Amino acid sequence: MLYALMGLGLALITGILNIPNFAHGALFAVGAYLLVTVVGAIGNFWLALVIAPIGVALLGIAIEYAGIRRLYAAGHDYQLLFTFGLALILNELIIVIWGPVGISHLPPAILRGGVDLGFTFYPKYRLFVMVLAGLLVVATWLFLERTRYGAIMRAGIENKEMVSLLGIDIHRLFTAAFALGAYLAGIAGALTAPIRGLSPGMGVDMLGIAFVVVALGGLGNLLGAIAAGLLIGVAQAVVAAYWTEASTAVIFAVMAAVLLVRPQGLFGIR
Amino acid sequence: MKRRDMLKVGAAAAAGLGFPAIIRAQQKEVVMLGIWPATGAFADVGPILDRGMQMALEERGMRVLGRPVKYIVRDSATQAGVATRRVEEAVDGDGVKFVIGPWSSGVALAVSEVAKRKKVFHYFSGGTEDISGARCHRYSFQWAASPYTAAKTVVDNFMKANPKAKRWHLLVADYAFGWSVEKYIKEVGKSHGLEFVGADRHPLGEREFSNYVQKAAANKPDAVAMINFGLDAVAAAREIFNFGLTPKVPLIMSWSSGVEELVQLAPEIRENIWVGSNFYYTADTPVAKNFVRSYEAKFGNPPGYAPSAAYGMTRMMLHAFDRAKSVEVQDVIKGLEGIEVDDLVGRMRVDANTHQTLRPYFFMRCKPKSAMKHPNDFADIIATGDTPLPKEYAACKDIGSF
Repeated sequence: MLYALMGLGLALITGILNIPNFAHGALFAVGAYLLVTVVGAIGNFWLALVIAPIGVALLGIAIEYAGIRRLYAAGHDYQLLFTFGLALILNELIIVIWGPVGISHLPPAILRGGVDLGFTFYPKYRLFVMVLAGLLVVATWLFLERTRYGAIMRAGIENKEMVSLLGIDIHRLFTAAFALGAYLAGIAGALTAPIRGLSPGMGVDMLGIAFVVVALGGLGNLLGAIAAGLLIGVAQAVVAAYWTEASTAVIFAVMAAVLLVRPQGLFGIR
Repeated sequence: MKRRDMLKVGAAAAAGLGFPAIIRAQQKEVVMLGIWPATGAFADVGPILDRGMQMALEERGMRVLGRPVKYIVRDSATQAGVATRRVEEAVDGDGVKFVIGPWSSGVALAVSEVAKRKKVFHYFSGGTEDISGARCHRYSFQWAASPYTAAKTVVDNFMKANPKAKRWHLLVADYAFGWSVEKYIKEVGKSHGLEFVGADRHPLGEREFSNYVQKAAANKPDAVAMINFGLDAVAAAREIFNFGLTPKVPLIMSWSSGVEELVQLAPEIRENIWVGSNFYYTADTPVAKNFVRSYEAKFGNPPGYAPSAAYGMTRMMLHAFDRAKSVEVQDVIKGLEGIEVDDLVGRMRVDANTHQTLRPYFFMRCKPKSAMKHPNDFADIIATGDTPLPKEYAACKDIGSF
């Protein structure tokens, strides 16, 4: 589910801006670190879970406004280089601010420990993450499908010129899409913190998987990203149960297999 | 000859005479390379390894046998191809004769081959048993305990404290280091009647351990033993706690970096974790005490295995210079062979036949949160062990000639 969340955010940005956002992993990491900092400051996990991703979304707006917007005219290569450089800068900033040594963050007290599901034992916190991530994916999906602004965003993905000819402020649309993508990365990071802990390299680990999810789903295809995220997660879990050594390789094997059969991705049209 | 030309010739002559003097001075320098990971899987460890080597050299005023030491650092990137190329470049281009590192055992084996070919001194910490085993040769040495020594120390002392914990589940990093230690844990386990109910291998750099832990939990083991390292070990230990195995089921980190890993785990997660390591900062030797004191003063936290290994290897190498009274590679190698000194972790010897450093290995038990006296008070050393690899397992039959 976390893969779906990351993939969805990245697909949104990739689709609407037409660039792969290399800083997506770094935004994920910032979300996790912000959560830990806010919990440290106010002592409330739930409030921090609200605040941290909003912080990341604001950072996303700043990035779009101060950086990417200026590069629309310059072409894709420059935007690509910009997000790549930004990823490195954010990564180093994390080291400067929070240090190079990894941190463990415990789940809130009521979500510690696990539940016996009969066939297996599962941590409560992971169940919570699954449910919340699922809700977020559905909510994002409903927003994009059922609301007017969501329809405009999807239209923006299909045809930017048309949307701007209809008198819609395309720049504001881009900013909003970037903010939403950053928000999803941020909350995925915040939710991950108690599971995987924090280390400056965490974004890089996740970015690879997010790209696989986006490519697998069809570049810029939102439903595809959700489906691909689930597919990867399930494939990894199933393979790990029978052949643990291959559980990382399977992510890329699935991608290769799907792309061989459907080069445009699961739901892609391009 | 005009006066002006005379001056020119004079200047040229002076330059000509002066230049060889500079060359001579450069030749007197002893060039040492620290091949440490600054990028890649162990990027977090490289800078602290560098600290350790730097500190050992600074203790000597950056000089050995009256000659200045030039210490250079290259990034191993924890990739065999990159590391070997950079070592070769440093040997050919910078005149390096003495190489310490890298950190990962698989990469070190590749670097060891370069040392053999280029005829330069090579000291490596540990993990694989091959550098002092099947692929031993005259130019490479291993500083960390033999995987056998580690396995014996860990299994014997854990069983002494938990005699009933006979069903073990193993979680093993899938590369040279993991295989070596796994082999000997199973071997030593036989004498305790251990049953290994599961043994899963994971790739280096794994971050998603939930599936491995689910499998481990399904086996209902009395103890889980991990043979992995760094962020892998931290991520796995965290997941084992999240799934509720620890603190009910004891977790053994059999080859841990100690402080560097433990500091990343919350005290709740550390409860009922047992740790084997090549160094722990409460080691009771004069050299260790002095090192820990100056390291803490400089960097504000106690040193773990990594900086201590870099520091310890550099010290052993400098002892070998002293013993050889020479800065020639082959003399220093002969100086290290058979050396016996009281150093960082206690009595340390270097076996001339295998190039294995024979030395104590540490076994610790993590403290519960309530017993910790300060935030870095992670564990107590409950035992040390130094049983060397028995002859029948020794894979280094002939160390060979230069």
